[in-house]
Amino acid sequence: MNTPGNTLVVERASLSYGDRPIVTDLSLALPEGQVTVIVGANACGKSTLLRALARLLRPAGGQVLLDGRDVHTIPTRQLARRLGLMPQAPIAPEGIVVADLVARGRHPHQGLFGRWSAADDAAVAAALEATGVSDLADRAVDELSGGQRQRVWIAMALAQETSVLLLDEPTTYLDLAHQIEVLDLLARLNAERGTTIAMVLHDLNLAARYADHLVALRAGRMVAAGTPAEVVTEETVEAVFGLPCMVVADPVTGTPLVVPR
Amino acid sequence: MSTVPVTLVGERRRRATRRRSVLGLLAALVAIAFAASLMIGHTLYGPVDVVRVILGQDVPGASFTVGDLRVPRASLGLLAGLAFGIGGVTFQTMLRNPLAAPDVIGISSGASAAGVFGIVVLGLSGLAVSLVAVAAALGVALLIYVLAWRDGVLGSRLVLIGIGIAAMLDSVVSWVLVRASQWDLQTAMRWLTGSLNAASWELVVPLLAVVLLVVPVLLAQSRPLELLQLGDDAAAALGVRVERTRLVVIVAAVLLIACATAAAGPIAFVAFLSGPVAARIVGPGASLLVPAGLVGALVVLVADQIGQWALGTRYPVGVVTGALGAPFLVYLLARTHRFGGSL
Repeated sequence: MNTPGNTLVVERASLSYGDRPIVTDLSLALPEGQVTVIVGANACGKSTLLRALARLLRPAGGQVLLDGRDVHTIPTRQLARRLGLMPQAPIAPEGIVVADLVARGRHPHQGLFGRWSAADDAAVAAALEATGVSDLADRAVDELSGGQRQRVWIAMALAQETSVLLLDEPTTYLDLAHQIEVLDLLARLNAERGTTIAMVLHDLNLAARYADHLVALRAGRMVAAGTPAEVVTEETVEAVFGLPCMVVADPVTGTPLVVPR
Repeated sequence: MSTVPVTLVGERRRRATRRRSVLGLLAALVAIAFAASLMIGHTLYGPVDVVRVILGQDVPGASFTVGDLRVPRASLGLLAGLAFGIGGVTFQTMLRNPLAAPDVIGISSGASAAGVFGIVVLGLSGLAVSLVAVAAALGVALLIYVLAWRDGVLGSRLVLIGIGIAAMLDSVVSWVLVRASQWDLQTAMRWLTGSLNAASWELVVPLLAVVLLVVPVLLAQSRPLELLQLGDDAAAALGVRVERTRLVVIVAAVLLIACATAAAGPIAFVAFLSGPVAARIVGPGASLLVPAGLVGALVVLVADQIGQWALGTRYPVGVVTGALGAPFLVYLLARTHRFGGSL
């Protein structure tokens, strides 16, 4: 399964919280340099799957491989230099300014008593620049709008300079304009830096619009995987979400657009 | 990669410089308070006399008053304040809640209750009492942690459980004191009100050893601790070993608190107020361990001088810090709109 071109691979993983099984016998691969979006109804196990990809959860069965190596055998810091994660609800310490928060993304690159280096400065500056928050560098994070704050968290993950970036619902709590803004930003990062991106999204139409590779889950099992055109069909949407619908072409992008009946 | 804007680096340097000067100022204030504690008393001694005593020369009068009374007393105040400040802010940072200080959530009460129980009921004395107290403080910390655990630990839930545990432990103390003999009561009181009156080298040296051993361990964890503030998942994704960090940090902080309590009693509110005060002084975004330790030391040294000389009668230091700390607790409670606000 670990063909070249797949960075992060899940092999027959079963995931559970305590005795409660969430995901059973699931295999999937993230194509390198592409945007993978995981979709599914509430509580289908998509966030759990993302946590397993990020090594926050140890599979009860099966394994998660990064470049062919079980992620649980990779030293924590070394993994953090390859794999970044933006969790669903990160917490900004009260009063912290944007530049200081983004600078925390440099932790895996510094030694135990590592001093701040010019490379660290450059990475932070590039991350602020790429996410368009350079002007906010000295502002307190808790004064920012939801969309700005989300871009700051993405900037922190970028400062980590990982080749793989995982995001758990990066558009929650944002209005539509800011959702598009964040997703455009991620698409640009993928195009410019070649970062492999995997994210969980709620909105199927946005997922179809931004994904190169779409994975649909239902009740902890994979129902379909492939390009949005392959996955987003009337049959699959009904199977995954239980929603009778029509699928038409998005008049702007040509990607599939789900219209509930 | 784009070039680094000059302002970004400049601002970072400016903040770092400001932080360093504030730290330097705090350290200088602690040094002044320490020196003043050696000079001020019924008899005032000048700096020359004090230095001569410390160098081991025989100065009539001063050798006893300064050498045997004031130096141990000031050292105990310095070390206990440092230990309470660092131990307290460690808990507050880790649990992202200023109310999660060890003296609010029952860890200091655990040490006190065990100390009093050991003296009155078990008839222990000396080092044995301290060991029982340290063990009890660790046990209470573990108990609170386990009770508060539900798919991770939430600061606010832990605080509420801790306050409940503290109330139970306080009732244990009352029960023990009712049974205590007059003689035991005297010794037991040291475990209940913070006081530097009993200061001697036998109390100072063990505390110094613990501080020298434990504080470097905590300082080495200060960056992982800062990252834990972002939430467990975010910290783990940045390469922090979350559970291991938390275990090391809890044990180290509890050791500091319990040993300082063993030597000077639970000097009221020092563990609780040092962190928030330090946060207001040094500003956000940097580790608070060292500044909170300095604030703790400063508060204890100054409050002890106030308690001894400024109020007519001599009061133990805990009475003064209690009088300062209680209004601050009310202020923080009123200010923290959402339960679980950070420092």
